[in-house]
Amino acid sequence: MSEKDKEQLKKEAAEKARAAAQRKREEREKKKEKSNDSASEMPQTTEDVTSNQDLEKQKAAAAAKAKAAALAKKKAKEAEGTETEPTANQDLEKQKAIAIAKAKAAAAAKRKAKNANENGDSEKAKAIAAAKAKAAAAAKAKGKITQAKETEVSEPITPSPQQPILDRYLNIVKEHYKDDILEDSYINRMSKHVPTIVVKLEHYYSLALLFKQHSGLHFEFLSELHGTDFETYMEIYVHLYSFKNKQSVALKVKMDRENPRVDSIASIWPGANWPECEAYDLLGIQFTNHPDLHRIMLGEDWVGHPLRKDYEPYDVEV
Amino acid sequence: MIRTEEMLLNVGPQHPSTHGVFRLVIKIDGEMIIDAKPVIGYLHRGTEKIAENLQYTQIIPYTDRLDYLAAMTNNYVLCHAVETMMELEIPERAEYLRIITMELGRIASHLVWWGTYLLDLGATSPFLYAFREREMIINLLNEISGGRLTFNYMRVGGVKWDAPDGWIEKVKAFIPYMREQLAGYGDLVTGNEIFLNRVKGIGQYTKEEAMDYSLSGANLRCTGLAWDLRKNEPYSIYDRFSFEICTADTGDAWGRYQVRIQEIEQSLRILEQAVEQFPETGEVMGKVPKVIKPPKGETFVRIESPRGEIGCYIASEGKKEPYRLKFRRPSFYNLQILPKLLVGQNMANLIAILGAIDIVLGEVDG
Amino acid sequence: MFGLAKGLKYTLKNMTRKKLTYDYPNEPLPLPDRFRGIQKFYPEKCIVCNQCANICPTDCITLTGKKHPDSSKRGKIIDTYDINFEICILCDLCTEVCPTEAIIMTNQFELAEYSRDELFKDLVWLDENDTQLRRENKA
Repeated sequence: MSEKDKEQLKKEAAEKARAAAQRKREEREKKKEKSNDSASEMPQTTEDVTSNQDLEKQKAAAAAKAKAAALAKKKAKEAEGTETEPTANQDLEKQKAIAIAKAKAAAAAKRKAKNANENGDSEKAKAIAAAKAKAAAAAKAKGKITQAKETEVSEPITPSPQQPILDRYLNIVKEHYKDDILEDSYINRMSKHVPTIVVKLEHYYSLALLFKQHSGLHFEFLSELHGTDFETYMEIYVHLYSFKNKQSVALKVKMDRENPRVDSIASIWPGANWPECEAYDLLGIQFTNHPDLHRIMLGEDWVGHPLRKDYEPYDVEV
Repeated sequence: MIRTEEMLLNVGPQHPSTHGVFRLVIKIDGEMIIDAKPVIGYLHRGTEKIAENLQYTQIIPYTDRLDYLAAMTNNYVLCHAVETMMELEIPERAEYLRIITMELGRIASHLVWWGTYLLDLGATSPFLYAFREREMIINLLNEISGGRLTFNYMRVGGVKWDAPDGWIEKVKAFIPYMREQLAGYGDLVTGNEIFLNRVKGIGQYTKEEAMDYSLSGANLRCTGLAWDLRKNEPYSIYDRFSFEICTADTGDAWGRYQVRIQEIEQSLRILEQAVEQFPETGEVMGKVPKVIKPPKGETFVRIESPRGEIGCYIASEGKKEPYRLKFRRPSFYNLQILPKLLVGQNMANLIAILGAIDIVLGEVDG
Repeated sequence: MFGLAKGLKYTLKNMTRKKLTYDYPNEPLPLPDRFRGIQKFYPEKCIVCNQCANICPTDCITLTGKKHPDSSKRGKIIDTYDINFEICILCDLCTEVCPTEAIIMTNQFELAEYSRDELFKDLVWLDENDTQLRRENKA
């Protein structure tokens, strides 16, 4: 999901909440006209909104909440599989912050309203209350998002058949490294359940060496190596296979996009030589200690790296 | 003492024995090769970049042009990757059609290799025989897909066309014919002493070296490692057929020759069973959403192409177009070992070694 | 030496076989019905839905529509329709998506021209290209 889509979603959610609040306000107004009720007590805290005797309001709030929850679920669903992406977390943080800010603003407005003339302001105050309710609902929804996310992670539908294999890999890695060298590890269900390990940049080479030499891992065959530009970072994807243990693993490493630099593993698997050249050529990833890093496809005089997402074709003759 | 001098020799990019636009800069001392540097990229068309702006269906014609001698497997690997991501069900009949066309393609590809390799070694007539048989396969594939080389036959979720009337019978009739010809090939070449002297012990490497250099396909199996993705990681419906993994234990050009010739026989076996089991009726296209949008995530699948392990990596953003598409092209990986094989060899063996790797430049350059 | 003799036997056996080559430009090449050749276009069938232009992997189709001259009828009719055969790869996707079979494939494949400009075929040319039409157009 790109940043833009998220923005869009957020906007939509805000729109919906606003619409719900509007409806609530209208309903309340109607009721007021009917019963000719005087200004009711202002709720002191956001929680009081729900304890208010106004049933209508409660219902509306519940509806708003349900809507928000549904939205949250949808969002969580979309967030599924993106858990590895830091942006998702950041986004949630942002949303929470927004919710808090809204609540604060609502509280401030309420205080102002209280200070103002009571008679003419009951309507305004109600609107404020509604806004507060909205904020509370939103905040709760945000909470639900995080909750939903957590449950999504902690309870997979069925444990993958490859899970024990991944655990075994992780145990071996743990035995050899004191500190945590992995950024992430998961089963990629979409890729025929391949155990996927994301390693920190500085430990990439040593882990690759361990993968080849350890008898319990023994990945002697490098099946695939390529890079990808994910706009916020660059990534190297290595697919390894062990003929001895009949197992495969996907090893990934992320690096800075502005100055992508990573250790070459061509000395471990000579078969990584050309694929690394290709990644250097098409993405501009520098491989340190590579035996012969050159622009294998396009030639040394080509300008730019085509597989980068911001690539602009350059032609002297045009 | 004769005074010798190093000399640079440029082979290609336009050279009939490189099977495409492949350049090799070699340093020779007399008749000995002391250094070799392959130069590739002359046929680089940026398929992966183009694909980032195309829908998945539109990418299929581009895959035809990677390994243009076995386009069916290329079609399949892309469809297979998308289907794996979307967890699509492929109808039975479509699976059989895919297997039959892929195995026909494998035979055609090996025939081209057989013919051209012997042409490289100086034997003209095997080339003519190989192309005679290949023409029959091409005609069969033309009848079902409408193309002779660029089939564009498979679709995400199935295949484009059902088999025309009588097509399966034609395939059925082709199998014994091809068997007979294959025996003839054996008479013509396999026992030929001149040929054996030319290939035995040439371009030899060990199993460990083959694994280190990421070789796959016949180049790996010729070292004695029984590794075939059709058998070891069955995809599609390959687990329904009984066939053997062909291996040789010499690790030289002769071993590769044997493996490929045996593979034609094994492909015929698969074809025989597939034609036998072919369902009478059924759909050829599964239930596929109108707009193909794989969910967000990434996948890497690999299958066995005639040249080795062809893989497809897709990173999807849940859009119509892939975010990143990458093909693991077997020829590209297989070619890496060439400099190592050439150093210390006689000049005359250069073409014999290069030819035995079986490269397709469309695939090397991508 | 035995191997050589065996090989020679195979060669001799093949000398009596039927000739397999085609006498191609003198005789037309036999092609199956599904063969993907140069497209034929029916302007009257086209509903200007733009699907062919959208699916084309090489963007070689350009088309424009205009309002139906009979103002009582809705929809559009085709105005111009061009295929650039410099870049067309005859992949068959345009005919696959066409809902009215307004564009179909033929069995013709001879496209050699002396100038690149002549490879730019317009509506009239594509309409007149009506020999060896493909019978089966939908899978």
